Amino acid sequence: MKARLAVRIAAAAGALLLWSGMAPLAWGQIVHGRPDKIAWGAYGEIRIAEDRVRGVTDPEWFSFGRVGGFVTAHASRRLDLAVQGAYDRGSEDFTLERLEATFLLQPALQFHAGIFLVPLGRTNLSHESPLYEFDEHSFVATQLVGVPHAQLGAGAEGRLGSANGWPLTFEFDVVTGYGEGIVMDAAGGTRIASGRNNYGDDNGVPALAGRIAAHPSADTEIGLAAETGQYNRTELSGVTVDQARYAHVLVADAASRVSGFDVAAEAGVVMVDVPPGIGTLYAERQWGASVEASRPLLSPFLRSWKGSTLSAAVRADAVDLDRAILGDSRMRVSASLNVRPRPASVVRMGWYYELRRDRFNNETPAAGLVLSLASYF
Amino acid sequence: MQTAFPRPWDRWLDRAAVAICACSLLAMGCGKLLTTAPAQGERFDQPVAGLDNGELGDFQDGQVQFRRSFAIGEGLGPIFNNVSCISCHSGDGRGRPENVLVRFSRGTDLDQIEGGPQVQTRAIPGAHAETLPPGVDVSLRLPPAVFGVGFIEAITESTILAHADPSDADQDGISGRPNWVIPAPYVPASEPGGGTAPRVGRFGRKAAVPALMQQVVEAYHQDMGITSPQRSSENTNPVAPWVPGTDGADDPEVGDAAVNDVSQYLRMLAPPTPGEWTDARRHGEALFAGARCTACHLPTTHTGPHEIEALSGRDVAIYSDFLLHDMGDALADNRPDGDADGREWRTAPLWGLRIAREFLNGELFLLHDGSAHTVDDAIRRHGGEAAGARDAFLALSPAERADLLDFVESR
Repeated sequence: MKARLAVRIAAAAGALLLWSGMAPLAWGQIVHGRPDKIAWGAYGEIRIAEDRVRGVTDPEWFSFGRVGGFVTAHASRRLDLAVQGAYDRGSEDFTLERLEATFLLQPALQFHAGIFLVPLGRTNLSHESPLYEFDEHSFVATQLVGVPHAQLGAGAEGRLGSANGWPLTFEFDVVTGYGEGIVMDAAGGTRIASGRNNYGDDNGVPALAGRIAAHPSADTEIGLAAETGQYNRTELSGVTVDQARYAHVLVADAASRVSGFDVAAEAGVVMVDVPPGIGTLYAERQWGASVEASRPLLSPFLRSWKGSTLSAAVRADAVDLDRAILGDSRMRVSASLNVRPRPASVVRMGWYYELRRDRFNNETPAAGLVLSLASYF
Repeated sequence: MQTAFPRPWDRWLDRAAVAICACSLLAMGCGKLLTTAPAQGERFDQPVAGLDNGELGDFQDGQVQFRRSFAIGEGLGPIFNNVSCISCHSGDGRGRPENVLVRFSRGTDLDQIEGGPQVQTRAIPGAHAETLPPGVDVSLRLPPAVFGVGFIEAITESTILAHADPSDADQDGISGRPNWVIPAPYVPASEPGGGTAPRVGRFGRKAAVPALMQQVVEAYHQDMGITSPQRSSENTNPVAPWVPGTDGADDPEVGDAAVNDVSQYLRMLAPPTPGEWTDARRHGEALFAGARCTACHLPTTHTGPHEIEALSGRDVAIYSDFLLHDMGDALADNRPDGDADGREWRTAPLWGLRIAREFLNGELFLLHDGSAHTVDDAIRRHGGEAAGARDAFLALSPAERADLLDFVESR
């Protein structure tokens, strides 16, 4: 076992060297082209890990993470266009995150329409891997929101407030809403993520989504977001199969800098009206929370690499996927030591320990040692 | 090297943090913080010893299928009890009362007109879950443990029949008899327990199933609503309509490969190793035999030839004779099943009790309906042919009973 681990660490080191050799050409260049005309960019991630569940190693020790790209066009003084997509190794398909037109009505108010990331928490709005301190997002993001969660719709976003008060930012949208995949494509219980990216709309009934955030200081943001709407189809081939059922997701988030630590927290609550025939297996209530803190330790990390930093991050997160029973929950602690040669690239050396509880409330420990590399290029 | 922190202690704080992180990473490299695997024989989901590489590959394929949870869009339903094999057989062990299956019949019929033989308590949108018809005979069935069934399959019929004594010729008050059943028509003669002639049933609480493949196919069909090439029509509620197509998958929803993979996986699941011998357990074993518990709970059974070599010619401590016994009024469900009447049950294997609680959130559920929470309670509810053994157990001193129970729970 140790020999295998050593081989993997050696392979990881090799990959790191290879990546480093390519790095000076690409790192730090988030956006190519001209932002006032047409700009583009991309990011990618690789993950090398020793993941174990109750001591049994997952054979998939190397994987590509999310690979994404974007193009933005400044079509006119008031009109911006954007396309963004990503290949998600989790769902193994290409996800369209943005196909969006934004119309600037005034500096503090703009309208947008098309496919865009729903403002359901700050993680969903800014989920790209190179920006994050851990190789995987929190359970709140992945299990309760379904990050990245994009939908078809239209809405407005802007800013309110003055210098004397807490400025507020807001976004309110009418969107297609979660799809029936919440239940229909979810194996073993309600899974919000299975109903995300519902561009086509299952039922033709729009959903509402919005977020309002206060900014008490330049480093602090406190947000509250929600999405509510019908998720299921009531008819199939003209035959009524069910009544209208609704899913509601609430997310509260906060971020601040405290004593040199960047602290962020996110909590989510899911309420789903589940068909009675599956009600004892599929949850009607779920909740989760995460809190994380990171701190730069050395900057520059390397004398010859100005702008490089070494930082450490820790996170605790938990999710209860069925509040009606004791089990079906996950708890995890994570730690990561991160080197950022430049802000847009990160090499993360992380560890996590997780306790999974099945529906019988039996506990299974899982842990992993992860080396991940993520960068814009 | 420059730092961005003006306070003098920040430098030391940072170095300490780096040192701690580096030490942690070293420790992780040694695998100390990555969880440890349980020892061989401490789980229900481990393969039997002696499998070749091909068989181990089949085992892994089958484990994936056994753990697969079906979504509605993948064919779950229209009516069903649970979403995966593992959902009922916790950790490949026995189930819990909340997953108990409800079997019913009217007289000796399986009552398929009214949705029998099993109530599917859940339904996908567009379908209606079944409810128990009035006036039927009902039997609750706790999902049994699935480890070691390959050894059970490998026991020859002649070995089982050698212990049968249907007319109690030896006049010991115990008259075990086999449950002769006709295999399902889709089980070929090449399959263990298959063919068109009556076979000795060995699986299920009343030994009503002769072939492992049949058990798998019926579990897919009855428990999960998953169609297979062997049962390619959806199981529906006969007294309520459903909208075809709402389960989102074409029939059959799994192929021969899945049925075969799960069957092979089950065959190759090893029983856990018994606990270490102690003086108390040796004493308990002697008391177990002295109370004539071993007349039905045979300590050792020899397996016959099997396609999987690791299952062939082995002495295995299952503690069952796989025969039907009258267990008295307290355990009678008054529901016939195949050749078994409403008072008869197959002798329950006792292996695996040692770690059964680990997969049931620390609890234990015994007997066919999971209603006994201790071995002591289960023994006290024995009756009929087992009344003599029960009375012998009750006649023991508390210390002797403790030794006997310790022995049983160490298996």
